[in-house]
Amino acid sequence: MTERQVLRIRHLEIALRTGQRILNGVELGIQPGRILGVIGESGAGKSMIGSAIADTLPRGLGISGGAIEFDGLTLTDMTARTRRSLLGRDIGFIPQEPMSALNPSLTIGHQICHHLARIGLRTAKVRRDRAVELFAEVGLDRPQALLDNYPHQLSGGMLQRVLIAMAFASNPRLVIADEPTTALDVTIQKKVVELIARTREAHDTSVLFITHDLQLAAEICDDVSVLYAGRIVETGAARRIINAPRHPYSRCLNLATPNLKGRMARLMILPGTMPGPVERTGMKGCEFATRCPIAEGLCRTARPPLAEIAPGHWSACHWPERTGTVAVPKAADAAEGFVLGSAPVLRAKGLGKAYRQHDWLGRVREVQALRNLDFEIREGEFVGIVGESGSGKSSLTKMIVGLEDVTSGVLEVAGLDRATAPRAAFFDKVQLVFQDPQSALNPRRRIASLVTQALEGRAHALSKADQKALVTELLGKVMLPPDVAGRFPDQLSGGQKQRVNIARALCSNPRLLIADEIVSGLDVSVQAQILELLRALRREAGFSLLLVSHDLAVVRHVCDRTLVMCKGEIVEQGPVEEVFSNPLHPYTRELVAAAQGAGIDGGP
Amino acid sequence: MMGRNYRFADLGLFIGGSFAALVLICGIFAPWIAPYHPNDQELLYILAPPVWAEGGTAEHLFGTDSLGRDTLSRLIYGARTAMTVAVAASFGAMLLGAFFAHLAGYFGGWVDWIISRTVEVWLSFPPVVLSMLLITGLGIGIDKVILAIVLVDWTRFCRVLRSEVQVVRGQDYVAFARLIGLSHPRVIMKEIFPATLPMLITLLSLQMGISVVVEAILSFVAMGVPSDVPAWGQMIADARIDMYYAPWGLAVPIFAIFLTVLSFNLLGDGLRRRLDPRQSAERGA
Amino acid sequence: MILAILRVIGRRLLAIVPVFAVVTVLIFGALRILPVDPAQMSLPPSATIEQVEAKREAMGLNRPIWEQYAIWAKGAVAGDLGESSQYRMSTVDVVLERLPATIELVVSALIFAVCVGMAGGLLIFTARGTVFESVGLVVTSAVMALPDFLLALLFILLFGVLIPIFPVNGRLDPGMQVPSHTGFLLIDAMLTGDFSIFISAVEHIALPVMALGLAFSPTIVRVLHASLINTYQQSYILQARLRGLNGREILFGQALKNAILPVVILVGTQFGGLFGGTLLVEMIFSFPGLGNLMVKAMQLADLSVIMAIALIYCATTLIFNSVADALAYLLNPRLRNG
Repeated sequence: MTERQVLRIRHLEIALRTGQRILNGVELGIQPGRILGVIGESGAGKSMIGSAIADTLPRGLGISGGAIEFDGLTLTDMTARTRRSLLGRDIGFIPQEPMSALNPSLTIGHQICHHLARIGLRTAKVRRDRAVELFAEVGLDRPQALLDNYPHQLSGGMLQRVLIAMAFASNPRLVIADEPTTALDVTIQKKVVELIARTREAHDTSVLFITHDLQLAAEICDDVSVLYAGRIVETGAARRIINAPRHPYSRCLNLATPNLKGRMARLMILPGTMPGPVERTGMKGCEFATRCPIAEGLCRTARPPLAEIAPGHWSACHWPERTGTVAVPKAADAAEGFVLGSAPVLRAKGLGKAYRQHDWLGRVREVQALRNLDFEIREGEFVGIVGESGSGKSSLTKMIVGLEDVTSGVLEVAGLDRATAPRAAFFDKVQLVFQDPQSALNPRRRIASLVTQALEGRAHALSKADQKALVTELLGKVMLPPDVAGRFPDQLSGGQKQRVNIARALCSNPRLLIADEIVSGLDVSVQAQILELLRALRREAGFSLLLVSHDLAVVRHVCDRTLVMCKGEIVEQGPVEEVFSNPLHPYTRELVAAAQGAGIDGGP
Repeated sequence: MMGRNYRFADLGLFIGGSFAALVLICGIFAPWIAPYHPNDQELLYILAPPVWAEGGTAEHLFGTDSLGRDTLSRLIYGARTAMTVAVAASFGAMLLGAFFAHLAGYFGGWVDWIISRTVEVWLSFPPVVLSMLLITGLGIGIDKVILAIVLVDWTRFCRVLRSEVQVVRGQDYVAFARLIGLSHPRVIMKEIFPATLPMLITLLSLQMGISVVVEAILSFVAMGVPSDVPAWGQMIADARIDMYYAPWGLAVPIFAIFLTVLSFNLLGDGLRRRLDPRQSAERGA
Repeated sequence: MILAILRVIGRRLLAIVPVFAVVTVLIFGALRILPVDPAQMSLPPSATIEQVEAKREAMGLNRPIWEQYAIWAKGAVAGDLGESSQYRMSTVDVVLERLPATIELVVSALIFAVCVGMAGGLLIFTARGTVFESVGLVVTSAVMALPDFLLALLFILLFGVLIPIFPVNGRLDPGMQVPSHTGFLLIDAMLTGDFSIFISAVEHIALPVMALGLAFSPTIVRVLHASLINTYQQSYILQARLRGLNGREILFGQALKNAILPVVILVGTQFGGLFGGTLLVEMIFSFPGLGNLMVKAMQLADLSVIMAIALIYCATTLIFNSVADALAYLLNPRLRNG
């Protein structure tokens, strides 16, 4: 890397006061005008990079080694004041959650004009004009009117555009985008990502694009660096890393990502978890060695340096050429065949849901959340619901489970009419796996008590021994070791919590399981575990699943059929392969197009 | 940083807790601890200064009041009055307030509406004045004082706890409890109440301090316990008359109230920090 | 926007009326349980039984309680709140005479409390992470443990007995006369043009104001401090930092407007407590205001005065709540249903 680099990070180490390292020697560089993607799962340390550059590391964390160079200047040597003067001017930021990134009590106009004043525009008129110009550039309609709006009056997508406008306003040399699309819907994501690419070109800025989403990185980044356990393990051109990686971890990430097109295959599952800061600090060998399918003795004792294995392609592995041999182990069991039952486990006809709102004068307003839904789920079938926010997915799941009442139409679960049969009859017929494992598990209870919670509603209690056996059985079904039973939820990882969630729902042996966005927010490798778990459970347990997700690839991987929902209606339904490869409804087409992106070549 | 705050909180908890316990012990064991009977008058030895001022003797460590009664003994018996009222009134207000708070926060709808409007009506009036009005209506006596405080301060519990209950109510694990067939009362007892308990305890401790103050105010204006029962507020009212001549008689009960309230406040704050740790989980990469 | 604020206030005031009515009924009822005979109280001790009976008839005390309330309410709306049994004067006159003094006291105390509270909260916040923060919080806790009547007494001890720099009685030095234009002594004193009179008025009101205000300020300090800490954890503060704003710009330009909201709400809801404080503070300082009047009325069971003052307290508390709501509306755009 001999050309001028806008950003050069040399052997950066960030540690806690106690000495535990979050970043353990990060090396990366960005050339002028290029977009570098940094891909990492949670715990790898990727947001620390942005914080380190901006000097906004949280209390208790500090740079314990290495240097950050910005266009030749060594940031780490500067005074706080000088560093601060670079921010907003030469270095811009695009944050993760646009909804909370702007001050809610100041107008948008006030905030952007204040920023423009800081970067040198003198008069109020000049600032307003420039603001309108910038808003138009990022594709916002009626930019003049927006200046007087407050942040809560705009949607997430619009707010992100405002933030992009502000980040690029000063023609910075570097813009850092920290997971800028995670909080947005899929169709909006695509637009925002394209916008970043366009704006970057117009201003000739370098972009550091931090994300956990491989596919997204493949779409807009020129180069990609993969971060694992505080170190960069591979760097190179985006296409090459994603289609022909030369590091086992990158390859595993690839193989763990469900794809929308191409062959359907089992997802790669890695044993164990990413080493945390405590383990990283003591490790002598490669951090990935504990989970790597091709690890050897050398890997555990000597840390492989980030070496250039081909021009512009760097890998931190002792055996980069063996990466191609990493593949998903063949399934030992038989084909996925199972017999679909004939009786429908769920039947909806003309189903609708209206919410009534009373305002203080006693007037009633009706909001129709769901309209005229017609669909069925047969025994043993896995059905997916795809839709963005506002499609009514959560109202539907709540009605099926009984948390909301049916206001029109017919809903039959396991043959019983939801509206007329008593609540108690449904408890062992249908169960819900909640989306947010944090809020779904009572933090004051141990796992053992949580998993068998369903029994508390029963009249007769099981003996202690029977209960213990049940706990072990349920935990085994979701591939968790029995010693998890004595722990509390906050001692488990996100993926483990989600599995406990599933185990808990299985306790009452339901005929229909509803999984509401249970893998959104999880890392790719953890998501793969849960998805393969669901597929395995289907072979054994014989329940039907209704999987709600915004991620089409996830639905394709697990489900037989799918419903596409938009604004409270089902716009299309059918077998998964058909709907996704040949979408008929314009909305479905839009979803599929947005989800496709550059496409990763799956397969061995 | 975290460490320092934690240690401070624990220190406050320890100091507050110890002194509060001391006051409680004085109250319980008053007849055995106090050197004299609180109403014994020694008319030849009135308005004596405490032992550390000139003219004071070790016989009356804190001096005597205008009727020659030993200040220290009256202070200890006053602690008994204060603690009796505080404990009874605080628990009463807590039970009443927590009950309605859980009903309102859990069920929402018209139940919440009625309870919230009632609390609003109550709170449209200065609390101390309301207590005094109730005493005007009910009459003097320690049980009336307790009742007056309970009837006024339950709203404080209700208001704060209601929002706590609402937060817990919104958690998915409560919805799950309903999905497995638990009845409403069971859900409240098993899932919601354990979560609101820490706040409840904190409020209880703070309420102890408030009750002590209200009792003192009421006895100050002679609308509290009967005049033959020693109370700190009454000591202050008596001492005020002779304050230019014997300022210590005024200062001592003031400090008693101050230290007692302070210790319950410290205890409450320390408990809150202990029982409700803010999980500042390391937001990983 | 002004229209919107007026609409909010209007809506709140409309909501207040039923609450107000309910409170009047409750207090009326509570007072009528008394084992005290208002008729007997309002006649000289030498009155005969027939005279007392006649008085009872005249006062309508033998009628059922809702009729009594109706009579009272009718009179109240017309401006007649009955006769004070202590002073043998119209209640309205008695109360109005004392009202300005209390308003002056409460408003001054509120201003004092807000100034001290905000300054304290900001100072402790800017010292976060240092030992001064802990010291500040401890001092705040200590002051919080001193209710207004104790502070009043302490002030008397310190500044009246030990180091006499402030007077501890009444509103003016004895012998000073001030023609009453507005009833607000500070203003009237200024209008006389005589500086020494004004100084005297200020001196006399100083200790009561400080006692009331200082007792109220620790809650403001705490709420502002907690609110600032909470605000600073929000994403937009970090984003402002990332755009290069420095500490002061962030505190005053971005954070304060958001952080002040809970303080406004607090002041609105706790305002009633200030009135509760005036009772004792006025009594202790022999300050001729409503509080003083109320205490005596309660001790002597002067029901019409109690009722009248209770209503004033209730009304001002509710009105102040609405004002606080309106301010919150101004400060928080999200409440405006944009």
